[in-house]
Amino acid sequence: MRSINKAGKVVAAAVSAVLSLTALAACGSGDAKDATASLPDPTYKVSASTPAWKSDKSKDNTLTWYVNADWWNKSFGKDLITAQIKKDLNLDITFVTGDDTKLNTYFASGKLPDIITTFDSTSKVAQTANQWALPLEQLAKKYDPYFSKVAKKETLDWYRLKDGKVYGYPSYSNTSADYKSGMIHPTSAFIVRKDVLSAIGKQDFTTPEGFVKGMQAIKEKFPNLTPFGFNDFTDNNSSLQSTVQDMLGVPITTKSDGYYDRDLDADYVKWLEAFREVHAAGNVSDDSFADDADTFKEKVSTGQYGAIMMQNFVSTGTQLQTFASKNPNSAYQAVDAISSTEGRKPTLSQSGLSGWSINYITKQTKNPAKAIQAFEYLLSDYGQMLTNFGIEGQTYTKNSDGTVAWTEQANQVRLNETEKWQKEYRMGEFVLFGHDRYKALNKASYVDAIWQMQDWGQQYLTPQFKIENIAPDTGSAEARSLSAIQTNWSTTMVSMIRAGSQSDFDSILKKYKQFQKDNNIEQVNSIRSQKIKANVKKLAD
Amino acid sequence: MQASAQDTPHAKHRKAGVVARVRQWWSQFIYQWQLQAMIAPGIVFMIIFNFIPIYGLVLAFKNYTVVDTISGAPWVGWENFRIILSDKYFWDSVWNTLGISAIKLSLGFVLPIILAVMIYEVPWGPFKRIVQTLTYLPHFFSWIILGGMLINWLSTNGLLNEILNFVGVNASSNYLLDADKYWGIAALSDVWKEAGWGTILYLAVMAGIDPSLYEAAEMDGASKIRRIWHITIPELGTMITLNMVLSISALFGSNLDQTLILMNTQNQPKSEVINSYVYRIGLTQGDFSYATAVGLGVSIVSVVLLVITNVVSKKINDNQSVL
Repeated sequence: MRSINKAGKVVAAAVSAVLSLTALAACGSGDAKDATASLPDPTYKVSASTPAWKSDKSKDNTLTWYVNADWWNKSFGKDLITAQIKKDLNLDITFVTGDDTKLNTYFASGKLPDIITTFDSTSKVAQTANQWALPLEQLAKKYDPYFSKVAKKETLDWYRLKDGKVYGYPSYSNTSADYKSGMIHPTSAFIVRKDVLSAIGKQDFTTPEGFVKGMQAIKEKFPNLTPFGFNDFTDNNSSLQSTVQDMLGVPITTKSDGYYDRDLDADYVKWLEAFREVHAAGNVSDDSFADDADTFKEKVSTGQYGAIMMQNFVSTGTQLQTFASKNPNSAYQAVDAISSTEGRKPTLSQSGLSGWSINYITKQTKNPAKAIQAFEYLLSDYGQMLTNFGIEGQTYTKNSDGTVAWTEQANQVRLNETEKWQKEYRMGEFVLFGHDRYKALNKASYVDAIWQMQDWGQQYLTPQFKIENIAPDTGSAEARSLSAIQTNWSTTMVSMIRAGSQSDFDSILKKYKQFQKDNNIEQVNSIRSQKIKANVKKLAD
Repeated sequence: MQASAQDTPHAKHRKAGVVARVRQWWSQFIYQWQLQAMIAPGIVFMIIFNFIPIYGLVLAFKNYTVVDTISGAPWVGWENFRIILSDKYFWDSVWNTLGISAIKLSLGFVLPIILAVMIYEVPWGPFKRIVQTLTYLPHFFSWIILGGMLINWLSTNGLLNEILNFVGVNASSNYLLDADKYWGIAALSDVWKEAGWGTILYLAVMAGIDPSLYEAAEMDGASKIRRIWHITIPELGTMITLNMVLSISALFGSNLDQTLILMNTQNQPKSEVINSYVYRIGLTQGDFSYATAVGLGVSIVSVVLLVITNVVSKKINDNQSVL
């Protein structure tokens, strides 16, 4: 027995020693300055002025690319656009799709694909990217320095983790320059049917009193229409929360960059009172609070609302176009409305620096050179023009002013053969590195029915970078408090609009303020303020 | 010490008994190999999909995120359960689940029995089949479709208000926005969907009742109601008890699909059930550990309910378990 114990101790000591050494080695590699040092050297001449994919003549490259979304089209190389990508990069990509469960299986198994695309920049996956992904700038330095010419510095800085490195690059990340360029458009507006506008005469929708009267005028002239409509409440608080607040130019932070509760802003509350009066006069249908997104879109496509506070008219573009095509004289159009009672200008928002999907190259990639080349290629002008408009001369031509037009043949397919346009061309659908600034080069990228709405709001587009990703971390007590408060606000806001009297309205609001206090709002806001300050610092750097 | 204990005559005798039992079991297994082969896939299925996932319940005691492995996530002890106990929204969802389930149970349990007896007593075959088909029909529609129809019917210009206005009652409200009416709407619509389907088992049992029992009762001058009460209902006894045991154990499992379709900002205080709460916290907010803790707690309560109901039903049913 004694000898067994002794042998056991020796084995245990040896195992511990090996484990400790392994752990130390692991720590060592994590702390090393260049995580790409152990990666193979490039087989081609690296140049800062030429994209590496043009110099790299290696054949038969393959990469596995996991996209954390079941809807992603997994085919590669079979349509016009991905066939060109395959040819240019000498690369075959195998796409794998799934949800968080599948992503977790990858992490749990310890075997990661070459590239991972996720959709939440605040998730634990993004926060711990330094443990499983390669730093992009170092990869680029080693294999493809041209990456620094196509990646936006502001976006890179926004995604820089505490160790000073950037591991993920997003799609649709709008920088300050994008906001100034006029190449990205607002997506929200207050829209009214043209025939309604001409029938009700001059109405001032910009003041609360005028708005209430205007809705009454619509009811009188068009008794079969619902005068005032708004988006569905399925996933958020419709267009009656942040969209209205943006229309009123409600500040996004306090003057000292602390968290500002926009829902309790006096100007905004005044407008909620106006909506209550519109509802009390029977000019809002109660169904609007229960309709789902499809029902709302159906009502838009048949023009059942006189006026709509519209959030994201791009995603409702098909329905707006359906109605406009059938009723050209009744098409919806954006007008000045719901303005600040304190003289503030609208500050319409669009997607910010965080963007949408985020792409990472994992530490286990078998071909780091090709992976960073694919990132650089898709981010470059060439890659963006290809994914948005296809091949120059074949599917599009460039105008003298820099804009783009479809070729006659491509336009015929686009208008008459929708399935072919999607399957054989895959135009504008390969969006893992997509950006609106390229889409804007061709007006036909958007349906005609929303052009006027885009133009109307262009001057009011204002970034809200400071308040991106400021919610408390998932799983924390504050995150649970915030979730409870937001759920309660949804019910509260609708109850305020449906309140029978002004005193009911006031008491419901008072109850909500108490609910906030009871649910730790001070601690939640303190975390939000800290995160805003961190964002401000990032933006200043 | 252990070696000497094994040598006693009593131990030897016990060992021989065990060996004999194992031999007997094995020879019986070989003899029934066809039956055992049929059962085997089911056992493998249960091991893979029902028993192995039980390991996942440790998540309830950990702080788990998508980048962790189940074993690698840090332990947090009873923390998740402590939070649940002080979570008002969780208790609201428990209360709603019990409320809706109680109405569903009281109506949805009795109605299929009455409906089955009525269908059984219809003498004309074609009419019987039409009634059966019509009552089964809603069961085959998903809640996505039925929910859409309900939202439409209960809206301001929907079917219900049209009917009320037609009979002279002035009505124009959207019933799904009225939180106080939600329990009734959820329970009634569920009963409407499933009552017809629930008759199948009862009709199957009734098909096996010996007709001579009815003939004898008729000869003795028993009315139709008496025949139903004294022959049909007692014959259904075991099936009724079985359904009761299963229904009560499912008290905490209110329909997730139905809730997600019919819930809106206004009825949420009365429509949020445990399943939708777990879905919201676990999947949409990524708080897997918390959601697992809620799920584990509910499963334990459901098992306790199942055992209690089974014991009670055994007492009623001459000490015979229906499970």
